[in-house]
Amino acid sequence: MIRIKKENISGFIEGLMSDYVLFAPVKDGETVSFRKIESADSIAEDYMNTDKSPKDIFFPPAEVLFSFDSGEITKNECSEKPFAVWGLRGCDVKSLTLLNMVFGTARQNPEDEMFQDPYWKEKYDNALIIQTACNDPRSTCFCNWFGGSPHDGEKADILVIYIGDAYLLDPKSDKGRKYLETVKNTEPAAKKDIKEAERLRAEADSSLSAVFELDGIVGRMSGLFNSGVWEEIGAKCVNCGACAFICPTCHCFDVQDEGKGKKGKRIRIWDTCMFPVFTAEASGHNPRELSKDRLRQRFMHKYSYFMENYGEHLCTGCGRCVVVCPVNLDIREVAKKVMSYQS
Amino acid sequence: MSNSYIPVPMKVKRIVIEDPEKALRTYDLIFQNEEDRKNFKYMPGQFCEWSLLGLGESPFGIASSPTEKDFLRFTVNRTGSVTNEIHYLREGDMVGLRGPLGNWYPVEKFKGGNVVIIGGGFAFTTLRSLIVYLLEHREDYKDITVIYGARNPDLFIYRDEISEWEKRDDIDVQLTIDNPVEGWTGRTGFVPTVTKEIGPDPDNTWVVVCGPPIMIKFTLPVLVDLKFPDERVYTSLERRMKCGIGKCGRCNIGSKYICVDGPVFSLAELKEIPESV
Ligand SMILES: Cc1cc2nc3c(=O)[nH]c(=O)nc-3n(C[C@H](O)[C@H](O)[C@H](O)COP(=O)(O)OP(=O)(O)OC[C@H]3O[C@@H](n4cnc5c(N)ncnc54)[C@H](O)[C@@H]3O)c2cc1C
Ligand code: SF4
Ligand code: FES
Repeated sequence: MIRIKKENISGFIEGLMSDYVLFAPVKDGETVSFRKIESADSIAEDYMNTDKSPKDIFFPPAEVLFSFDSGEITKNECSEKPFAVWGLRGCDVKSLTLLNMVFGTARQNPEDEMFQDPYWKEKYDNALIIQTACNDPRSTCFCNWFGGSPHDGEKADILVIYIGDAYLLDPKSDKGRKYLETVKNTEPAAKKDIKEAERLRAEADSSLSAVFELDGIVGRMSGLFNSGVWEEIGAKCVNCGACAFICPTCHCFDVQDEGKGKKGKRIRIWDTCMFPVFTAEASGHNPRELSKDRLRQRFMHKYSYFMENYGEHLCTGCGRCVVVCPVNLDIREVAKKVMSYQS
Repeated sequence: MSNSYIPVPMKVKRIVIEDPEKALRTYDLIFQNEEDRKNFKYMPGQFCEWSLLGLGESPFGIASSPTEKDFLRFTVNRTGSVTNEIHYLREGDMVGLRGPLGNWYPVEKFKGGNVVIIGGGFAFTTLRSLIVYLLEHREDYKDITVIYGARNPDLFIYRDEISEWEKRDDIDVQLTIDNPVEGWTGRTGFVPTVTKEIGPDPDNTWVVVCGPPIMIKFTLPVLVDLKFPDERVYTSLERRMKCGIGKCGRCNIGSKYICVDGPVFSLAELKEIPESV
């Protein structure tokens, strides 16, 4: 573990900027979101979770798959420099690993390149993931439901712990270790620094609400597939899709062509199973006609289907959907209701 | 690295209009690059995404059999924007193609057994692929029975070829139309009823059912009554699709993605998937 004095951290950031295309949380009026940054002092300091999730760094809301001109197809080239992200929270780092399970390969055919998403891989595979430990989790945070904790950086390349007068940088992967070896103006973390980090960790851990046990939720959800629970949960949902767009793990997309005549682009655009047109067919038939059908799909994908396929829940407890939902539909309450529902 | 979102160029070699309303057209496509042709290895039951640059994509089952080396065949029903545009194509025009996608009918498992193929309407496409494949490997299979229904005699697709099959003695073809019409010598009645009448023997027999959802819905119970085990009844599911490679989430039902885990599923598998039938 190394230590960088608070006043020297911009030097570290500038170093990152010369080696990488760097993304970091930036304040934009009232909101904070990840942006490509050009100078160290544009980085937001006081923030917990960014308002928007960082998924758009690797999976942009609208991404050109290729352009075409009179039948000639050209794929857009990715930037030559690899990406680095500074200031990710643990839940967001985990969400990227979950997205990588989908885009990086296919569980059905792990070796087959055909199922690897080149647009995701060219950005994510070489990225340097730098996580900031959470000293002050929000009331909507529930990463502990999914085995996470505010200072757990095991899935990142480097974990950064802010201890007031300095930053402690803890390499978590070979990539992170190699990078930190190249950094100048550092000193080894002192014993008292490590003690302080431990204190902050314990304090953050204890500020989270108790874990709600999700064991058995896969079976419960399947058993309740045709029950009235979804209608009860979904009665107030207005199918706006805000939860899905803000979610760091939701990843459904639409593909659309843009352009006139023979010249144009094929683009993928974020989409969500919360919208009726998502499944509407040419014949007029819609297999997920009702709002409750769509809501069930979203929650079951998160807590049942993904678990069946990958052994993880497709939710990291970031709490963004809890904050953003216009009708206060709280995903934690959904899980609790499903677990206790008597049909 | 390879990029499954980018279509390969294909030329429309031949177009056949299948019905009097001209809503169904069959297209034979040929590869423009030898490399693409070599890489394209498929089995009956798989599908492709047709790509019309500027308009979008649509998935279609492959109607040709891998034993037919020179072309890929598709039959397209005109229903919306992409399929409309496809119907404007002429011989010699170019289209993009992605595939082959999805899984296939388990012809390896069928070896040494009887095969009953039940189809309805224009969803006969991948069934043609299967039949041509089985006939090409005839010695590997025992009895082959085809039950094919359409609303009226004009709505059977691949009529010339079916007539050829009817002349053979190594395949039993049973055609049925919904209501009797003059001059029709085949059966009349809906596919589920006719299947019951014919009553195929479930012993060492595999079934493939493909057709409109309503036909599948009523045929499956008939097969259950005839004592076909769920593991030996197969069907192909259709849902909206985009990527075709398990990423975009569009075709997800239960823990399955129809574009990768399917479109072919056994009845035993379907029973485990909510929302499937
Ligand atoms: C695995 C599979 C195999 C198929 N095989 C055939 C075939 O052999 N012949 C045939 O005529 N049709 C087939 N279909 C259905 C065909 O794909 C749709 O009818 C077609 O996409 C409608 O497109 P459109 O643009 O003309 O209609 P629009 O209503 O304008 O549709 C817009 C978009 O919606 C999607 N879409 C709408 N309806 C469907 C649907 N039922 N299934 C899938 N996507 C849909 C497509 O992405 C399409 O681009 C198949 C579908 C699937 C999933
Ligand atoms: S944000 Fe709330 S209202 Fe909107 S779709 Fe999600 S759960 Fe429904
Ligand atoms: S069509 Fe995209 S996941 Fe199946």
